[in-house]
Amino acid sequence: MTSIFVPSADDGEQSTGSTASFSAREGGRFLDRWELLVTASYWVAWLSFSRRTAMGTGIAREFDQLGMGALRLIVPASLLVGIITTFQVASQLSQFGAQALSVQAIGWFAARELGPLVVALLVVTRSASGIAGELASMRANGEIDALRAMGLNPVKYLVAPKLAALLIAVPGLTILADALIVLGGWLGSIAILDVSTRFYFDQFRSAFELRDLFIGLIKSLCFAYMIALIACDEGLSVEAHFQSIGTATSRAVVLTVLGVLAADTVINAMFYFIPVFA
Amino acid sequence: MIPVLEVRSLTGPAGAPGIFDVTMTCLRGRTTVVLGPIHSGKSTVMRHVVGLERAARGSVVVDGETFDATGETEDRLRRMRTRIGCVFPGAALISRLGAVENVELPLLEHTTASAAEARKAATHLMTEVGLHIDPEMLPGQLDRAVQRRVALARALALRPPILMLDEPTQGLDAHSAAELDRTLERLQAGQGFGTLIFSHDPRYAFGRADQIFVMAGGRIVESGTPESVRNSASEVVSRLLDRRGAA
Repeated sequence: MTSIFVPSADDGEQSTGSTASFSAREGGRFLDRWELLVTASYWVAWLSFSRRTAMGTGIAREFDQLGMGALRLIVPASLLVGIITTFQVASQLSQFGAQALSVQAIGWFAARELGPLVVALLVVTRSASGIAGELASMRANGEIDALRAMGLNPVKYLVAPKLAALLIAVPGLTILADALIVLGGWLGSIAILDVSTRFYFDQFRSAFELRDLFIGLIKSLCFAYMIALIACDEGLSVEAHFQSIGTATSRAVVLTVLGVLAADTVINAMFYFIPVFA
Repeated sequence: MIPVLEVRSLTGPAGAPGIFDVTMTCLRGRTTVVLGPIHSGKSTVMRHVVGLERAARGSVVVDGETFDATGETEDRLRRMRTRIGCVFPGAALISRLGAVENVELPLLEHTTASAAEARKAATHLMTEVGLHIDPEMLPGQLDRAVQRRVALARALALRPPILMLDEPTQGLDAHSAAELDRTLERLQAGQGFGTLIFSHDPRYAFGRADQIFVMAGGRIVESGTPESVRNSASEVVSRLLDRRGAA
């Protein structure tokens, strides 16, 4: 395996394929972004087959905190998004006397766009700062150096469990959010559009395609990657002192939100412009 | 006596050196103390020895095998690190893992032990260092002295020939520091590892060292037995001893 630690720029030397790893200066980046991506993915794959206690416990804890902990936020927020969407679309379409189409809009957008994006942004607000803050404080506390000094890979023990937990949690939460947005849309529809439940679900079925759910899940996997890797990178690349924790957490939130939105734009553009995906 | 650790002409970190031409030897079963004021370069030496920093020049010999401190392959670094136990200031335990999980980490990573075997060995190690706590407790729930013992158990998990401790008694009260020191002495007598301690406290250094290296400004300015260092005419040594009142 190649080194995951690269010399900082002021070392005046670059690591090559064969030599590596005496770096991690007192401050600044000590982990290359692309290597973080590759090694974290490798260790997530490895974790799938590992029965090692500490690793399994690590994923379970991360899943509990990053995934299950977000439920309280995602359940009400998704319901509200469903209601809001119905109100907004219905008020626009009322100009054309086509309020009933707002039910179809829920079918079009919930699984493909709203669900994945709402979940990703809520997970970012709740967890990105937490992940970055935790890793930055571990760096300041010498825990990262302690791991390395024991010959343990920080990416394997700290980043991979978070990435694995988010890769499971974000798509799972997305399916839940999709369902709740539809439920919120139903609540909004029977409240303001005066439509029957049967009509609502008939319209929804005619607009919804399983493919939309599939695309939404692909997006949610990309978002999980963005959230885990950007937040971890921000946490690991700070200077090793406590003052840098605040900077890491705020940068992590800003960059993760931008990263998620940029990824969403790219994926949407791909499905819009490339015929094979459309 | 057989040297278990030799540091040869170490200058680093590359690009912005903070330590210069550091050379020292640590013997099996003996205690070597690197003594010096804060920011004298002690911790930087320790970081170089385990490859956390890239040196501009120098090498490290661990248990007879020479490692280039200016750059080594990942595999060789890994092999070197399994032969050196490290206790960092403040213990540096992994805060998300329980005490026993912290101790079993090196066993799970570097040995073929099963999860159950690693847990059993980690529990035994914790008893060996005098820990009688709920093994699942998180580091944040433990007091400093207990954290330091968990870190000691973790450092000794792979039975390394050399144990390095950076400011091992920092932040501990006198009683806890003395207890930890006695435990360390007992373990060293039983297992025979060499101990390299980095400390700013002359009382601690002169209490148990077989050999002392005094550092100032990133350089070794004096070395020898405790007696010879105590009698040294070096200005740095005099200042260090006078200030601490240990002369």
